[in-house]
Amino acid sequence: MIKVFRERWQRWVNRRVPRSDSQSFNQKNIFILPTGAGVVFGILLLVMLITGINYQNSLIYLTTFLLGALFVGAMHQTHRNLSGLQLTVMQPGEGFAGDEVPYRFRASAGQGPAISIRLSCEDSRVAPFHIAAGQAMDVTLLVTSAHRGYLRPEMIRVETRFPFGLLKAWSWIRPVSPAIIFPRPVVAPDSGSTVEDGDEDSAQRATIGNDNADLRPWREGDLSQRVMWKRYARTGQMVVADWEGEQGNPQWLDFYAFAGADNELRLSYLAWQVLERARGNTPFGLNLPGQVIEPDHGPAHVNRCLRALGVWGEVPPRDSVAAAHGTRWHETVREKEAPV
Amino acid sequence: MKLPPAFASGREAVKPENALPSNALLWLIGSFAILLAPQWDRLPVWLVVACGILALWRWLAQEGRVRLPGRWLRSGIMLVLIAVYVATVQGRFTVDTAASFFVLAVGLKWLETRSARDFYVLFFILVYLAGVNFLFQQNILWALVNFLAVALLLVGLQVLNAPDLPSDMPSGWRRLGGLLLKTLPVVVLLFVFFPRMAPLWSVPLVSGEARSGITDTMRPGDISNLAQSSERAFRATFGGEMPAYRDRYWRGLVLDYLDGETWRQGRGERFRRPGRIAMDGGVGALGDREYDVLMEPTDQRWAFALEGSSAISDNVVEEGDDLFRFRRPADSPMRYRLSLDESPVGGDGNELGVAERRRFLQLPASGNPRARELARELEQRFSDEGIVDSLLGRFREQQYFYTLRPPAMPDDGVDALLFDVKRGFCAHYAGATTFVLRAAGIPARVVVGYQGGEPGAGGEYLIVRQYDAHAWVEAWLDGRGWVRIDPTAAISPERIESGLRDAVAGEGSFLEDEVLSAQKYGDMALVQWASLQLDRINYQWQRWVVGYQGQSQMDLMSRLPGGIGMRELGYLTAGVVGAGLLVAGIFSALQLRRGERRDDFQKVLLSWHRTCESVGVPVRQGETPSTLADRLAQARPSVTETARRFARMVNSHYYKAASESDDQELRRMRRLLGTMKRQLRETSPRRQSNRESGPAK
Repeated sequence: MIKVFRERWQRWVNRRVPRSDSQSFNQKNIFILPTGAGVVFGILLLVMLITGINYQNSLIYLTTFLLGALFVGAMHQTHRNLSGLQLTVMQPGEGFAGDEVPYRFRASAGQGPAISIRLSCEDSRVAPFHIAAGQAMDVTLLVTSAHRGYLRPEMIRVETRFPFGLLKAWSWIRPVSPAIIFPRPVVAPDSGSTVEDGDEDSAQRATIGNDNADLRPWREGDLSQRVMWKRYARTGQMVVADWEGEQGNPQWLDFYAFAGADNELRLSYLAWQVLERARGNTPFGLNLPGQVIEPDHGPAHVNRCLRALGVWGEVPPRDSVAAAHGTRWHETVREKEAPV
Repeated sequence: MKLPPAFASGREAVKPENALPSNALLWLIGSFAILLAPQWDRLPVWLVVACGILALWRWLAQEGRVRLPGRWLRSGIMLVLIAVYVATVQGRFTVDTAASFFVLAVGLKWLETRSARDFYVLFFILVYLAGVNFLFQQNILWALVNFLAVALLLVGLQVLNAPDLPSDMPSGWRRLGGLLLKTLPVVVLLFVFFPRMAPLWSVPLVSGEARSGITDTMRPGDISNLAQSSERAFRATFGGEMPAYRDRYWRGLVLDYLDGETWRQGRGERFRRPGRIAMDGGVGALGDREYDVLMEPTDQRWAFALEGSSAISDNVVEEGDDLFRFRRPADSPMRYRLSLDESPVGGDGNELGVAERRRFLQLPASGNPRARELARELEQRFSDEGIVDSLLGRFREQQYFYTLRPPAMPDDGVDALLFDVKRGFCAHYAGATTFVLRAAGIPARVVVGYQGGEPGAGGEYLIVRQYDAHAWVEAWLDGRGWVRIDPTAAISPERIESGLRDAVAGEGSFLEDEVLSAQKYGDMALVQWASLQLDRINYQWQRWVVGYQGQSQMDLMSRLPGGIGMRELGYLTAGVVGAGLLVAGIFSALQLRRGERRDDFQKVLLSWHRTCESVGVPVRQGETPSTLADRLAQARPSVTETARRFARMVNSHYYKAASESDDQELRRMRRLLGTMKRQLRETSPRRQSNRESGPAK
């Protein structure tokens, strides 16, 4: 029962606060309720009114009415504080899984000042900020990421309790643009690339290198091709040969290099390797199933690789109808959606 | 692992939730100090000192110079202070002690004020403390002080909610002032129309200490103490002409039982005459013979009335002995209305019943032999009226003095006064006269009240002060009923004709203890004038604000057209609240719409998007202005430069440091957009039909 109600409420809220990278707040989407202190204040006013009635004290009446009227005035003030404010996602952040990912917003006040605005998303929040009328400022909200891929906060809450903290007016922005979360780097075991430079025949190289094979006991995850089956037949010991030829080209970071590791772990290894290469500023390429990034170096390249690792195999969030910069959601999105 | 700097974004400093901003705390402490001021005379000194220390401690802790006490020390302090409190209170439970406990609780709370939550708790307590203050002090200056303290609290709350507000934004005072101005009409309407109900349940506001004023016992020295106070007792407004000074005898209560040296009220069952309550309940303009009294709180039930009055308003009840009583103790200023009868007091000349006669002849079994001897002598020589005349004649002719500094008369005070000392105050003479009359077989009683009163500023009303307190005698004369006899008038006619100041002028004892009283310097015109003007303001304040209770509300309503009763008032109140909310809502909605219309930047941007779409370049979701410009340029090379410049401007609006989108910037954008549109028109697609238009998907 409660669940049904909650879903219904969520749908209703979602209609009022559609997914959009830019949200301006007005009567349609601002909610306002007394805070806990506001409720106690109401009780206090009631007690004062009763005191005034019982002691027939006009001045207590007067104080009660004054405070009551101020409470109503504060309601408008609190509402106005938020209304007219516009929040625009400037840059959905990037970061490693498990880190707090910065979401940058441009907050611009409308006609009046917006004072003591708090942004929060789940348990992360931004210190209250103030914007004078007609001004704008940039705010960064850190959103905690759990795993790699696209991170799109369901709802980012924007709230104000100014002036008295007796009332809270709040609304949400539901950004469209997702943040990209890179895999959490995990120190990779020494391994090479399976990508060949192409000037040598790999098969030939492998056979040649047979002599230099490094023999070691079998570990879980080793490919069966590499097991020395003859030796196994003879001695019953599983021994694996690591051929020199398999060290591969250190320029390439290869998805397939980590035999036996599962995909996520591979991506984490690769992320570590990317950072490792970035530190040495050595050129490297990235070989992912379905995506190959040619060797290069520099921060942009590093970023591109990390992004590729982050979103590998992930589907972008479905209802990503990002409004173009500066457009209101209604004008553009409805037109787009109409034919569908 | 070290992350590249681009990803290691610094978290904005988030203050711990529980740290209170210093300036907010300062406002709160300031407000507390101000709220203590109106109670200065009823709070014990140790409590004020303790509160000061506790608040100071909290402040020093805020400054980081000391630490707030831990739980044990805190409990210790609490226990000690409560023990001191219990010791000083000694089990008396009065409003005073309750109020000091309240103050003590606030004081102790300072040590526990750590979080915003505690701040709110203190805020609520202090607001209620302001309300409690109003129970004790209603005069305009203290009321302003109280309101100031509440305003301080509200500013403090704003500071708490935005401690780092830049100074170029409106300050808390300005915001509060604006809010007050906007809400003031509703407050005034509510105050006027909110129905003043009768108390829901009766909680007598009995103060522990007696207020200054007359009491229901009279010892010879009592009233001369009162004579040293210039506090106001009540103010009276007359519908017709004010009675002459010598007729301003305000009867309060009758003392008919002499207990040794002390006159008391007899314990007999009081006769209660159902008050002649007019249906109008004392509403409307004062009639010709009516008068209206605004009495300061006395915590007592007796009302003061001129001789021969009857009750008009329904908050006073007429009792036996031509006295008036309130329905409940006057713990706040009381306003009541009476009318003067045409016939003089006691004119009906009824017989005095046997029980009554015995009651008014009561005397102690022994004592004052010489006075009794004198009475016996008079009784043998004169009729009842003759006795009275000769006694007054004795006061007039012999060397009796009216003084505020009578010598002590320990034993047989009446004898001492009449035969040896011959110096006394009104209470002495009234007691002695009653004694002699009773001893002579004439039923007599002491009446206590006020005599006199001077006109306030503009002569609109009379101010009666404590030093006008007076005691006189009423004697029952067959055929005439109760007759007022004032021995003081015989000894010191000035007292009755023009007041105490003149009566004791030679002695210099008028208000000797009150250095600051304006009445003391009554002969200095400026001081007198200023004091009277202040009193006038206070009078209007009391009449229309403090005293605006059921009676005055009905009074005001009766002057408005249409019969407005309690129910109508209820509707009116609801209407006022509803209309207030509605007007405020409409107002804010209008303001909001105006705000939206002014969102010019969005309009320009939207117009650009429409232009793009009209030439077949659809705006894609999540596209940056420069890519849109690029695609537009691809489709229409003629506008390449314009479109790129425009996109740069949009970009700079978004991505440069946040700055105001000033009018100049907007104007340039509009101009540029106009140019772009013109260029697009000039290079119409018909001329370039061979070129592929529209974006590549």
